[in-house]
This record gives sequence, structure tokens and C-alpha cells, in this order.
Amino acid sequence: MAQPVPFQKKQGRVAVTIVTGQAEALRRSKPAQSSMVRKVWQHRADYAYVLPAIVVMLIVIAYPIYYTVDLSFFMTPPGLQLRDKTFVGFDNYTAILTSDVFWTVTWNTMIWTLASTVISFVLGFATALALHRSFMGRGVMRAILIIPWVISAVAASYIWKWIYHSDFGVIGAILVGLGITDRPPNFIDSVGTVLPSLIVVNIWREFPFAMIMMMAGLQTVPEQLLRAAQVDGASAWQRFWHVTFPHLSNVSTVTILLLAVANFNSFIIPWIMTGGGPSNASHIWITHIYELAFGRQRWGVASAYSVLLFIILMTLGYFYVRALSGEKKKERGA
Amino acid sequence: MTRLTLGCGAILRGTVVIASIASLISSPALAEPPVDLSKWSPEYVRSIAGTEEFDTAEACGKVTPLDYKGSLTFWYQGVFEGDPDLLRQYYKDFFESFRKTYPNIQLEEQALTYNDLLDKFRTALLGNAAPMAVRLQILGGTEFAAKGYLEPLKPEDVGWSTEDFWPGAMKAVTWDGVTYGIPTNNETMAFIWNADIFKRAGLDPDKAPATWDDVVKYSKQIHDKLGIAGYGLVARKNAGNTPYRFMPQLWGYGGGVFDEATANPTYKQVQLNSPESKKALQASYDMYVRDKSVPVSALTNQQADNQPLFLGGQLGMMISHPSDYNVMLDLQKKATGSDKDKAQTVIDNMRYGLIPTGPDGKRAVVFGGSNIHILKPEYVDGGKVDEPAAKAIICFWTSPEWSLKMAYAGSNPGNLNGFKTKWMKERLDNIKFLDVTTSMLPYGIPFPALPQAPEIMNIIVPDMLQNALTGAMTVDQAAEDAAKKVEDLMGGGGL
Repeated sequence: MAQPVPFQKKQGRVAVTIVTGQAEALRRSKPAQSSMVRKVWQHRADYAYVLPAIVVMLIVIAYPIYYTVDLSFFMTPPGLQLRDKTFVGFDNYTAILTSDVFWTVTWNTMIWTLASTVISFVLGFATALALHRSFMGRGVMRAILIIPWVISAVAASYIWKWIYHSDFGVIGAILVGLGITDRPPNFIDSVGTVLPSLIVVNIWREFPFAMIMMMAGLQTVPEQLLRAAQVDGASAWQRFWHVTFPHLSNVSTVTILLLAVANFNSFIIPWIMTGGGPSNASHIWITHIYELAFGRQRWGVASAYSVLLFIILMTLGYFYVRALSGEKKKERGA
Repeated sequence: MTRLTLGCGAILRGTVVIASIASLISSPALAEPPVDLSKWSPEYVRSIAGTEEFDTAEACGKVTPLDYKGSLTFWYQGVFEGDPDLLRQYYKDFFESFRKTYPNIQLEEQALTYNDLLDKFRTALLGNAAPMAVRLQILGGTEFAAKGYLEPLKPEDVGWSTEDFWPGAMKAVTWDGVTYGIPTNNETMAFIWNADIFKRAGLDPDKAPATWDDVVKYSKQIHDKLGIAGYGLVARKNAGNTPYRFMPQLWGYGGGVFDEATANPTYKQVQLNSPESKKALQASYDMYVRDKSVPVSALTNQQADNQPLFLGGQLGMMISHPSDYNVMLDLQKKATGSDKDKAQTVIDNMRYGLIPTGPDGKRAVVFGGSNIHILKPEYVDGGKVDEPAAKAIICFWTSPEWSLKMAYAGSNPGNLNGFKTKWMKERLDNIKFLDVTTSMLPYGIPFPALPQAPEIMNIIVPDMLQNALTGAMTVDQAAEDAAKKVEDLMGGGGL
């Protein structure tokens, strides 16, 4: 059994160890710090270039975020000015989480975001694969397929509203004209069909974005690898699954995340086509927040909703940045 | 004789007394309305039209000198897709005429549609970036006055008299006993039907449904016989068209949001869940769900969507302005081929009548319109209000001439003197069915003069309709739910 070291002696030894440890750390960090300072100094012009953008971002993003978080703790009665707000702590958050509308709207938002993101991505990817092969008229096809993405969302919403119109819509007229139905189908005036109908419009508008991203990704897949796999007897599916797809994993992640963020924030299509109705069946978070704030002047509650949405989007943003840095690391590794 | 024995002092005293009485009578405080509202009828309106001349520049020059140099930012609820071309031209003429009359006032005007104006104005106020003057829908005035954004402003401040305006319209610009604006125009809608559709459906082509129960029956009969929509129900949320069409029905059945349909409303008791209100909601449910006799698109439609349906002969009845006749003429001009002839047939068969009554003979219509206001400087972009410039445009717009011209096809002049102008006479000759809508004016009921009224009318009432019509709730549940929402709102809370 080891003899216990007298306290004084032990303390002294510990102190010595700490001192030597610090000196060691200092010795190691000094060149590192000076190297970091040198690096910053070397890139001073770059920092100067981005400084105005950072200042602008602080003004137009950081302050509104702070103000929104602050406002989310206040009650803002609709009959009073905003300055007459009263502090209510977490009451707005409690009110939101215990309201029936919140769960309806959240469920709608989940369906909207998930369905729009997944289907847009799959459709965009499939189209990109089809257009990656060389065939006559490929350029024209590419241009045509990009149209939904480049036209204004407002114009697209009005056109689709007319296409879907439950009384004199284009689809209804065709179906009745062909004798398939007696009455035009009810797309956007029914609680059961409104959300899927809007999702179709959203997918129609978004899939070209996924297509462009994946087409760009496909350009990076090494041709020689695909040829080698072909020589080794790999089938088309095996070549896709073992060669093409792994090369596209990062661009796929980035595309999915960007689509998800865009869909969470999607406002124009549901607002213009249905205003969140009928009976809140097509209200998603962003349209509900808009209505609460600007239509009903519940600034405090709307801010609390926004804070919740912000947390979700920041989480998605974190994964987006991680996916991007993963791609960079991979590029450097290659 | 006594008269001869009067001394100089007595004569002087008498002269002073007579002069004082005369001045009191002519002062705004004791002024008589320029028209006799108790005699209101199409004949009376015709009899007063064109009986008086008004010089707008001269009248407004007394408020703000015509050579006044200043600048003004001004937002207004302007024309939208459902308005006739005729009205667009008058709006253009108004600003040209104002600039010509006040060449040294630098005017920056911005037109917004009915459904966008409130949202944008509220946002601008939060950032102290509002315009100096604003023309708002009748629903909005009380909200902004109650919140303290508006300067007190009465007709006398711009050269007119309070009695020159409809008493109901003045209520809508009054909060806590103070007047915060001036009515520019006042409107009451009428009931429109297609006589040809009525005939083909076996109904009397020259007779409007007398009651709301008749509307339900007629709508079903039209739909069952002809396979088209009977009545143009509108139940879109966040759209002014919905309350303007549902509230007459609600009041007709004896219901209401509060007691706004009574002579002296107190707005204390919520009545959206009363048996009478539920009957009104049931009538809409019967047409939409039970009979399927109204446009399926009613939940996303506005009146502008009903207009092409009506012109295409696909809709039998609707509630709207006299301007819809002009809108039909505009749309018909744009039609081609056989559509043009079809549209002409519809126009020839267009009939206007009074809005139906409830089961107890109660007839009601929304007393709508717009008001004009001046903002307090602290909420205005730049922190300053050019008051003389603001008063100049307000005097101009609320003058007998322009309050009539700017309401030429769609509604009625806010300034009652407008009914006496030559333009009113011309309008009665040119605008078909104007008689009917002016006849509806005495039945007009203003929206509750409360700051919460926009949310009640644009969100809670349409929500109630949508909840019942989609089957998300029963009629009873939808009415109770809406009543609770109004109670919560009045209590300062609720989601």
C-alpha cells in the first residue's frame, strides 16, 4: 500500500505540475496564436469586404430576432397600440401549445413540408437523371421544365386557382366535357382535398429546383468510374446505387434541406389560393403567423409562434451547414 | 303704437338678438341636413337631383388657399378588379383635378385594394411610417381612432357641416364622443337576379324573393331545374365581400354579432349564438350543403368571382352594388363570338330589387362606405403632417362634387349635398338600378363601431361560415364557437 503523501508536499507537487502544465500549454499555444493572428492579418482585406454585409445583417436580422423574442413574452391586446403591451412571461407559448388550432396547423405544416420536400426531390432527381442522358431536344426539355420555377409564385397561384376552380376550373371543365364526372371535382373548397391540391402546386413549382441541383451534381460523377463499373458487368441499377448515388449524397442532403426550409417558410401559394381555408384546413405555420399578426394583431402570440418556427429552421440550418462542410471536406480529401 | 315708442337701445338689443338667432341657425351646430332623410324614396332622390350648383375649388379654397405650397402623402382604398372602368376614370380625373386646383401641393398618393389596405396600414403604423392622410373602409376608422393614431377631424374642419353627412356614417368615425374622420361615400347593396333564369326555372321573372327563406327555396329550384348555381353565396375569409353578404341575412333573421341592428346599440351582449343567428347560418348551410344550390367555390370566392358566373348565365341571384351592371357591360365588351351574345342576354335580363327580409319582415343591409382621416405626426413617415395639404384633399374628396363622382357607379356620396348636384341627375339617367340601391339606404346598419370590428367581420364571421359549410362543425357548434371567439376578443385575449 502506497504511503500517503504529506499534504504540503502533495500540494507543492500539484502546484508544480500546474505551473509546468501551463508553461507547456503556453509554449504550444504561442505559435498557434501568432499563426492565427498572422492568418487574420493576411486576410484582413477579406474581412473588410464582408464587414458591411455583417453590419447590415446585424441590423436587419439580429435586431428583428431580438425584438421578436422579446415581444413573444408580452400580451398585445388587439384593441390597443403595441406600446401598451403587458409582460406575460411564457403565457403566449402556453396558449399556443394548448390551442386546438396550433395542432391542426402544425399537422398541416408537417404534411405540407414533408410531402412537398420528398416528392419534389424524388421527381427532380428522376428528371435530372433522365435529362443527364444525351438525346435530341434535351436542351428544349430542360428549358421547358425550368419554367414553373422561374415564373412568379403569385402568378402561378392565380393560374392554379383558376385551373382548380370548383365551378369553372380547367380540370373540372375537361372532366365534365369528357363525361368522366357530372360536376367539377372540388379541389380547394373541401377540407379533405385542399392541402393535397396545394401540395401538387408546390411540387410543380419546386421540382425544377431539385432537378437543377441534381443535374449539377451529376456532372461531378466521374465518367471513368461508371465505365469501369460497366466493364466489370455492373447493371444500370448497380451503377446508379453504388457509383452515382454515393457521389450525390452531399448535394442531395443540401437540396433536401434547402427544400425543407423553403417549404417551412412557404407563404404565397397557400395564402393566395385559399387564405388558409376552408376551416384552417390549409393553414400552415407561416400563414397562420401572418394572420395572427397582421389580420388579428396578436403580435405577442405571433412572435412566440415565430420563435418556435425559428428554432426549427435554425436546426435545419445547422444540418445544412454541416452538410456543406462535409462536402467541402470530401472535396479536399479527393 | 308700441313699435313707435321703442327707444334706440331697444332696437339695438332686438337687432342683436335676431342676428344671434340667425347666426345660430346657419352655424353647423344647429344646421339642418341639406336633404330630408324622412322623405327618402327614389322619387324624392330624383326630385332633388340637379337642384343646386357647387364650386369645389371655391369651397376648398376657403379651407386651404389654392396657392398653398406643401406636400402630402396619401393612401386610399382604390379601385379593384371587380370595379367598372367608369370608376377607374373618375379616380384618374380626381387626382388630375386636385393637382390642377392645388398646383403647389406635392401629392404622393398610393392606391391599395380593400383586402390589402388594413394590413399594410397597420404595419406602417407600427414602424411610424404611415401616410399623412388615409382613406379607409368604414370598418377601420374606429380601430385606429381607439388606438390613438388619428387626429380629431370633423366635417367643420374642412368647410362642411356634420349634418351634411348620414348620421349612421358619422357614428362610424366617432370614438368616445370625438369625431376622427369624414365619410367619403356610403353604400348599401341590392339584390340582383337574372329574369331569364327565373323564367326557365318556373319562377316569376319580375319578382325578387321576398324573404331569405324564399332565397333558399328559389336557389334550390334554380339548381334542380337548370343544374346551375342559384344564389351567389360568398364565404371567403379575410375578404370584405363576405360580411357584406352575410350580415344582411343575419340581421334579417333577427340575429347579430351584438345588438348592432338596434337603434341604440350597446355592443355588450354577444348574439352570434342566438337562435335567430343560428337560423341565418342554417339558411347558408341548407343552400351549400343540403341543396348544393350555390357555387361550390363559395369558400374561396369573392364577389369578383361571382360576376363572370352571373354573366355566363351560371348564377341566378346575388347581392351587389349598382356598379355590377356596369361591370357586366365592361365584361361583355371583352367577350368574343357567341359569348358576346350570351352576355348581352344576361344583361338584358338583369333585375335589381330590395334585399329580402327575414321571417318577421325585417329588412337590413350593411351601411358601408369609406372615411378619410388625418394621422398624428408621430406615426407618420418623417414625423410631420402637412395639415393644410391634408385638409385640402379631404375637402376635395368629401365635396358634393367629388364625393358623388368617386361613388358614381358603386355607392352614394358621403356628402348629402352630392344628391343635389347635376352629376347626380346625370347618374340617375346613366346608372341603371341606382334607384334600388339608394332605396336601401334607410335599411342600412353600420358595422359595430368597435376597434375589434375588423377581426369580427373579416375573420370570425367567415370562419363561422366555413366551419359550418365544410362540416368541420355543426351549425350549432360553429355559432357557439364564433360567439366564444368574439367574447374572448372583447376580453382582450383569445387565439
